[in-house]
Amino acid sequence: MINTQEILVYITVLLAVAFLVKKYFYKPKKTSKSCGKDNCGCH
Amino acid sequence: MSVEMLKVALIGNPNTGKTSVFNHLTGLNQQVGNYPGITVEKKIGYCKLTRHRKAKIIDLPGTYSLNASSLDESVVIELLMNKNGDDFPDVAIVVSDVENLKRNLLLFTQIKELEIPTILVINMSDRMKRKGISIDIPVLEKELNTKIALVSSRTKNGIDSIKTLLQDYKNISSEACLDTSLIDVTYFDRLKKAFPNQSLYKLWLVITQDVNFGKIDKKPMKDETSFSFATKSNSELKRLQQKETIARYKFINDTLKKGYVVDKSKATDLRSVLDKVLTHKVFGYVIFFGVLLLIFQAIFDWSSVPMDFIDSSFASLGDWVRHTLPGGVFTDLLVDGIIAGLGGIVIFIPQIAFLFLFISVLEESGYMSRVVFLMDRIMRRFGLSGKSVVPLISGTACAIPAIMATRNIESWKERLITILVTPFTTCSARLPVYAILIALVIPDQRILGVFNAQGLTLMFLYLLGFAAAIISAYILNKVLKIKSKSYFVVEMPNYKLPMFKNVFINVFEKTKAFLIDAGKIILAISIVLWFLASYGPGKEFSDAENIVKSEVVNQELSTLELDDKIASYKLEHSYIGIVGKTIEPVIKPLGYDWKIGIALVTSFAAREVFVGTLATIYSVGSAGEEEGTIKQKMAAEVYPNGEKIFTLASGISLLLFYAFAMQCMATLAIVKKETNSWKWPMIQLFGMTAIAYVVALISFQFLK
Repeated sequence: MINTQEILVYITVLLAVAFLVKKYFYKPKKTSKSCGKDNCGCH
Repeated sequence: MSVEMLKVALIGNPNTGKTSVFNHLTGLNQQVGNYPGITVEKKIGYCKLTRHRKAKIIDLPGTYSLNASSLDESVVIELLMNKNGDDFPDVAIVVSDVENLKRNLLLFTQIKELEIPTILVINMSDRMKRKGISIDIPVLEKELNTKIALVSSRTKNGIDSIKTLLQDYKNISSEACLDTSLIDVTYFDRLKKAFPNQSLYKLWLVITQDVNFGKIDKKPMKDETSFSFATKSNSELKRLQQKETIARYKFINDTLKKGYVVDKSKATDLRSVLDKVLTHKVFGYVIFFGVLLLIFQAIFDWSSVPMDFIDSSFASLGDWVRHTLPGGVFTDLLVDGIIAGLGGIVIFIPQIAFLFLFISVLEESGYMSRVVFLMDRIMRRFGLSGKSVVPLISGTACAIPAIMATRNIESWKERLITILVTPFTTCSARLPVYAILIALVIPDQRILGVFNAQGLTLMFLYLLGFAAAIISAYILNKVLKIKSKSYFVVEMPNYKLPMFKNVFINVFEKTKAFLIDAGKIILAISIVLWFLASYGPGKEFSDAENIVKSEVVNQELSTLELDDKIASYKLEHSYIGIVGKTIEPVIKPLGYDWKIGIALVTSFAAREVFVGTLATIYSVGSAGEEEGTIKQKMAAEVYPNGEKIFTLASGISLLLFYAFAMQCMATLAIVKKETNSWKWPMIQLFGMTAIAYVVALISFQFLK
């Protein structure tokens, strides 16, 4: 049976994995203000 | 009553003491981030003016004019031209240097023409007497149509007068000093007719800039009328730009004649004497070498006491937590994962703080620019620009800003070569790895009675990094067939005593960045590693205790010895053990066991993770009740036959592997971004790893 300590371990590990995934694999969406591939037509 | 927030842009040429003024105005009330979409550093600070008014001060990158030639400079222009932007200033402060007022005023007159209320700060006023300079402030205020604050960021004199002027910013003129349209009346008339609602000078800046402005969009202006931007050729526009610059300098000269006098007979100048010595073709290098020697000796000697204290404190903390909390897996995670991982980060704060202390002092004093000039002579022979020295030196802090600093190298070939070789220079992330390995395998003894052998090894590794960078540059220069031209211009700022506040803030910010940014990653990886090392698949792991007991049934082992054997067996059959064992055949010829292999894999995220990984693995793999220090645990590691794992041969092999390997995901990402292709980061990754493998292999086979 899973005890409290094990639950805390799983939560901590999940948080750590989520942080690493966010850090290395998650790309934030560009805001509408930023330029796209066309460089805002500056070139 | 609500607090009014005044937006202030702090602008100025490089080396005018802009950051000192920013630090005085904002203190530690600063936030450092990036401009959206690009990785140019954005510093914002807050300053209280009155009970109901605060100033949000944006410290913009140093720029010589509004004719941008690099991405950093374009940030300034973009912010000043984008009226709808979140950071568009209510008032601009242009910081100038009392000795270089003529050159600094070029930028001032350009900003005035953008019709932004602008305050002129004349900094370094404490040098006026020594340099024989006298200034008539009311005359300059009248001629330049502005308010002036005469300031000494060294003595803090005049800082309050900036705050007073900011409180009264509505009375500061936003009128231009001169009229640019006079350089070509017909052309500017046509522009005005084509875009009646636009500021003429803004239009002129947009037309003449070479770089991409990001948010500033030419398309809508093009659509408004049939007016074509191509009515003048590039060479005609360049000539007009030159005419504009000449007109500005004429205005500046006329102004300074009325209110700025330099009496050279009163000046006492030490600068030329110092320059002769520090940039001398023999003494210059000897002094530079001596400075490097001092830095690396200090990093080892001075930091040993606080490092030992931190190391033993974390060991005691782990011990205390284990004995205080109820036993169980979460307590194990706290002690062997979190506390061991945190210890692996915090222990390196003294060394990192000392490194940045020295780098800040060298930059602040003006010596770094002399080093750039001095090293240019060497760089040219290896196909690099003199400007490549800046990224190579900044690479000792971190390769990421160093690679971004290559943006001011005009030649694409030289820039690409600099980007490719910069990761060879020893960044601060390598320092923890070097420090722990040197302390383990290099004896702590004096050479010639003066030099610490460990300090000398560290210096050798730094020099090896530079040597690898310039030799690779030489080869790349021969191999890459890209045609380009280049020139080298560097400004030599005046010598000055480093300001304690600036040095402190710089050391604080850099150490904080290491502790928070790198620390979070190391901590998260330590937790995941602990999990992977404490859990495993199949019966081999779950039944470890019975398997080991049946194996040692005929041996007389103490309880502690038996527990150690079980812990070691479990680690070997854990998830991480399986990964380590899989890659062991590849790394065995280099002198590494599977546990080091795991650290090599995880430290690909960031090099400093290496130490934290080993700290976690060795903590999990030991059943001892007492928590040893990281160094003690590493020193105690042995192969099944009793041979030590960390010997001189394996230690040197590891040091050399880390000296050459491209162990940094973030650097690869920034190289991809800067070169706009995966080709170059992949060449870098496989090339550097191959060099690291071969060098580590040769050194281990030779030394074992």
